[in-house]
Amino acid sequence: MDSLNISRHISGQFNEDLERVINLVMQMGGLVEKQLNEALLSVSQADEELAKKVLSNDYQVNNLEVVIDDECTRVIAKRQPAAGDLRLVMAIIKTIADLERIGDEATKIAEVTLQSLSSQHKELLLNLDNLGRRVLECLQLTLDAFTRMDVEAAINIHKMDEKIDREYEAIMRQLMTYMMEDPRSIPQVMTVIWSARALERIGDRCQNVCEYIIYFVKGKVVRHTTKEDMETL
Amino acid sequence: MISVTPTALADSANKIDLSNLSPEQVALSIDNLNLYYGEKQALQNISMAIPKGQVTAFIGPSGCGKSTLLRCINRMNDLVDICKITGEINLHGENIYGKHVDVAELRRKVGMVFQRPNPFPKSIYENVVYGLRIKGENNRRVLDEAVEKSLKSAALWNEVKDRLHESALGLSGGQQQRLVIARAIAIQPEVLLLDEPTSALDPISTLTIEELINDLKEQFTVVIVTHNMQQAARVSDQTAFMYMGDLIEYADTNTLFTTPAKKKTEDYITGRYG
Repeated sequence: MDSLNISRHISGQFNEDLERVINLVMQMGGLVEKQLNEALLSVSQADEELAKKVLSNDYQVNNLEVVIDDECTRVIAKRQPAAGDLRLVMAIIKTIADLERIGDEATKIAEVTLQSLSSQHKELLLNLDNLGRRVLECLQLTLDAFTRMDVEAAINIHKMDEKIDREYEAIMRQLMTYMMEDPRSIPQVMTVIWSARALERIGDRCQNVCEYIIYFVKGKVVRHTTKEDMETL
Repeated sequence: MISVTPTALADSANKIDLSNLSPEQVALSIDNLNLYYGEKQALQNISMAIPKGQVTAFIGPSGCGKSTLLRCINRMNDLVDICKITGEINLHGENIYGKHVDVAELRRKVGMVFQRPNPFPKSIYENVVYGLRIKGENNRRVLDEAVEKSLKSAALWNEVKDRLHESALGLSGGQQQRLVIARAIAIQPEVLLLDEPTSALDPISTLTIEELINDLKEQFTVVIVTHNMQQAARVSDQTAFMYMGDLIEYADTNTLFTTPAKKKTEDYITGRYG
């Protein structure tokens, strides 16, 4: 937390406000990570109870988003943050929007567990295991980088997304072949496609959070830029 | 096809490149200015170009030299005996500290408004035309016109047009400050210096004055010293951050308040101790 340098405000109240918001973001990150982990477990272990739990817990993620939004609005209204403080508040507001969407993607994955797939099709879900583990790791690293506001880590994670995308494409090709061979399987394969897609999107959202970290620390907007631009940071 | 980059969208139309101003864009250029009060050096080697038709704000903690610098621009520091100045301030390429400069004439070109409104104990009308009368202008029609135009520019006309000949001391603080601004602009200066013009005013009067500053820059170059950082952020196009007599950072206001280049600036505008 010291790397954020927030404890040096002359106004102790301001320190407390920012610390509270940051703690809430950490809490939200932890919750989203748990949701994704359990969603993936529910799929790999065909654990319907766990899947239902993920679905019913999504409201907590949503609530935290609203609470943090509220806190940020209050900080802006009362403290008129500038420079680094302003960038921090902006980065938080954007990060929690992405975290909330990651929570939504986790519920989409959990829903797959609840669909009655034939045992033959359930094997398809095993393909997701690898991708799921990679995405979960990406999310953990992202949250870690956010906690430390670590630009270097953020840049590395940003690059990781390429691997996720490649893996996603490989799965898609495989599923596509499956559908072409046996058109009757299309509805069930589609279900698997949706969750692969959800995982791929989580990777993109982690990338977004990394961009906010870079924005906060460096004051540079790296969204919608090329890889080469990122290298020059 | 028109391509718009995000940065192009964020930049306002009147944004200029401070490091690369053409001579026509510069209202004032300050070169290697040093100022000493006796033994103590209050300004250290200040160099900056203040662009024409824009609002430039000086911010910094008390005693950093921002008011001193502002006062240099119309030689108010001449009144301080122990004050010694080296370096130049150029207005239209002419050093205002040159030997043959007529200080009264300089102050006509460079008007100033202070922290506390200081109307003369005269009527509203006489306050506004004071400078013109000193210049020898006595034509009633010219004076009437100047009063209406200046008071309108200072956003005060509608409030006082029916009592122009009543005492200026009967106006509220915010109105008095706008009257003083009207008095300063009646003689058509080129540069208007504002030394914490709203620090003695309530928030609504402050907003009125800020709105006024925004209108004034169409006709004048405005330089403002303010303790209120949000005010600098709201009204100025450029901001200079000063600390202990040094000019630490001078940049366009949007940049300075979102991504300052220097750590000292960051610490000051975010309210941290160094």
